[in-house]
Amino acid sequence: MEVSLASSVTNLLLIGLNHHSAPVEVREQLAFSNGTLEPALRRLVDAETIREGAILSTCNRVEVIACTSNLDAADEKIKTLLAEERQVARSLFEKHLYRHIGKDAVNHLFRVAASLDSMMVGEPQILGQVKDAYAASSALGTLGVVLHRCFHKSFSVAKRVRSETRVAAKAVSISSAAVDLARSIFDHLGDKTAMVIGAGEMGEQTVRHLQSNGIGTVLVTNRTFHRAVDLARQCNGTVVPFEQWHRHLRLADVVIGSAGSIDYLLVPTVVEEVLRERKRRPMFFIDLGVPRNFDPRLNDLDNVFLYDIDDLEQVIEDHKGEREREAAKAEAIVTEEVEAFWSWLASMEATPMIVALREKAEAIRKRELEKTLATLRDLPPHAHKAIEALSAAITNKLLHPPMLYLKNSSKNGESQESADAEVVRRIFGLDEEDE
Amino acid sequence: MEILLLKAALLFYLLSTVAFTLTLLSSQTVPRPLASTLLFVAFAAHAGAIAARSLAAGYIAVIDSYEALSFFACLMTGVCLLAQMRASVAILGAVVSPLGFVLTLGAFVFYTQTRDLPPALHSAWLPVHVILAFLGNAVFGVAFSASLVYLVQERQLKGKKGRSFFRRLPSLETLDNLNYRILSWGFALLTLGILSGAVWAEYAWGHFWIWEPRPVLSLLTWVLYALLLHYRTAGWRGRRAAALTIACFAILVGSFLGVKLLFPGRHGGEFG
Repeated sequence: MEVSLASSVTNLLLIGLNHHSAPVEVREQLAFSNGTLEPALRRLVDAETIREGAILSTCNRVEVIACTSNLDAADEKIKTLLAEERQVARSLFEKHLYRHIGKDAVNHLFRVAASLDSMMVGEPQILGQVKDAYAASSALGTLGVVLHRCFHKSFSVAKRVRSETRVAAKAVSISSAAVDLARSIFDHLGDKTAMVIGAGEMGEQTVRHLQSNGIGTVLVTNRTFHRAVDLARQCNGTVVPFEQWHRHLRLADVVIGSAGSIDYLLVPTVVEEVLRERKRRPMFFIDLGVPRNFDPRLNDLDNVFLYDIDDLEQVIEDHKGEREREAAKAEAIVTEEVEAFWSWLASMEATPMIVALREKAEAIRKRELEKTLATLRDLPPHAHKAIEALSAAITNKLLHPPMLYLKNSSKNGESQESADAEVVRRIFGLDEEDE
Repeated sequence: MEILLLKAALLFYLLSTVAFTLTLLSSQTVPRPLASTLLFVAFAAHAGAIAARSLAAGYIAVIDSYEALSFFACLMTGVCLLAQMRASVAILGAVVSPLGFVLTLGAFVFYTQTRDLPPALHSAWLPVHVILAFLGNAVFGVAFSASLVYLVQERQLKGKKGRSFFRRLPSLETLDNLNYRILSWGFALLTLGILSGAVWAEYAWGHFWIWEPRPVLSLLTWVLYALLLHYRTAGWRGRRAAALTIACFAILVGSFLGVKLLFPGRHGGEFG
């Protein structure tokens, strides 16, 4: 009993890479697209190492969060899984990975959801992406009581940060400043064309803003084709293959760069040529890339207007001091919520009834799994895995409500708690010896 | 009556200048309709003054320096008000109002009593010629204003200053398109002005053309604007086109004043 308790101590592990730690080429190779996420999620969670798990994959980050009692094994499993599922050599991405454990993992997830870890701090898309990741893993049953709670907390942290600080207001005002600028350059937007290079969140936000202000045509191009298709579908745009975007540049009145790129995508000589083809009709370049997508010297060309993120921030008269104060406020909110979550987790671990319930379920699951698998020796290994994942998912889903119930009842005083515990004990037959 | 109306016009030019300046300085756009209304009142008073003088004199009063300056200022204001009706470029008034004020004030300095029209100018061609020629110049004056606003807006956008200012000015494309349209109109009017002058000269003196400073400089202006329009059509836009429009207008005004003050010739009779 002592041994099994110790080994079941829950810990959280978050492994991933983002725009700070990895170049875009690596991020794009590791990113999951529609359809590839589910098998990976199924494979992630099993009874042995990873009890609960979720995968967050956007164009700026790929992160795996896991609830485990064996950190090293979980770490190893996640790396193998990423390499095999994405068919990338481990050596390619391993050096770019960061690893957060325990409170740090929670802290990281909260910061991501609150858009404090975004390329453009405060951009609103990331919360939706975190919610999507939650929904996908929730639907597959790879979440248990811990990660369910952890994700829900991350949403409320994001909400708090948005309502209590001005961090989020900035991203919105950045894209509306871009639209204002476009209106100061162009008479009507209806007969204008915007081209988005790269599928970054801020680029998407800006093009949507342009669209709600009536821009005529949207062209989308991206190094990874399917991401361009996704974005184009969302904003009724036309996809331009990445190899050909230079040729379509002369059609674009507004050019939005939100690609991750080390070199400049555009230099003055190229744009000069394009301007000649356009009979010098003005062009507005919005550079949302970090590092920059466009050579700053473009702004020296006649009829060309180039604004990068810093310029846009200057335009919205956003002062650095204020920004830092707001960011500090947001970080304080995150820290506070991480502490609250962590003490919840610790108290749950300390609730003997919850531990007993989980162990009972786990014991049943293992025993039944062994029985079933013993009769199915002919099945290929991946089918074994699938059955194992299925059993874990069912157990997790079944245990979630009673565990939550127990957890909440501990808040209602000791007498209520022990009465509730008694009910659960009898319902689940926790005193009986397993046959 | 004429003097009274002229003083009223001066007052309202001044008031609309103040109103437009306030519009530019404040963050709201509220004073702009008021500013435009003030400018319209200035125009109406000014036109009234010219009409009163013309009625009293018995001919269209655009002969001497005072009359010419005054007529030019009044027409430019009128064209500016017309342009405002077609496009959201009310802010042109911020240039035209002070310009109207200064020109009218200048005209006031040269103020003269009406005299009898010299016999050489007794002709039905007089109103046709002067109205066409002056209207052309007035239109160029508005093109100059649009270009000036263009350059200010362009500097704002290139310099990446706060958006509170650039939001109050029309878009570059609006100004550039307006500039092109106005220049075309101005050019057509100037061409007709010169042609009518030539026809009139043929009737009056037996020559289509007289080698005098006034018509020669008009021809020079015509060539300059022809070149400007040519390059615009060929694809010159934006800052360069605006700068050239300003340069052309500067030459136009310079030649107009220069001829009036330095080379009084046969053109325009003894009034010079």
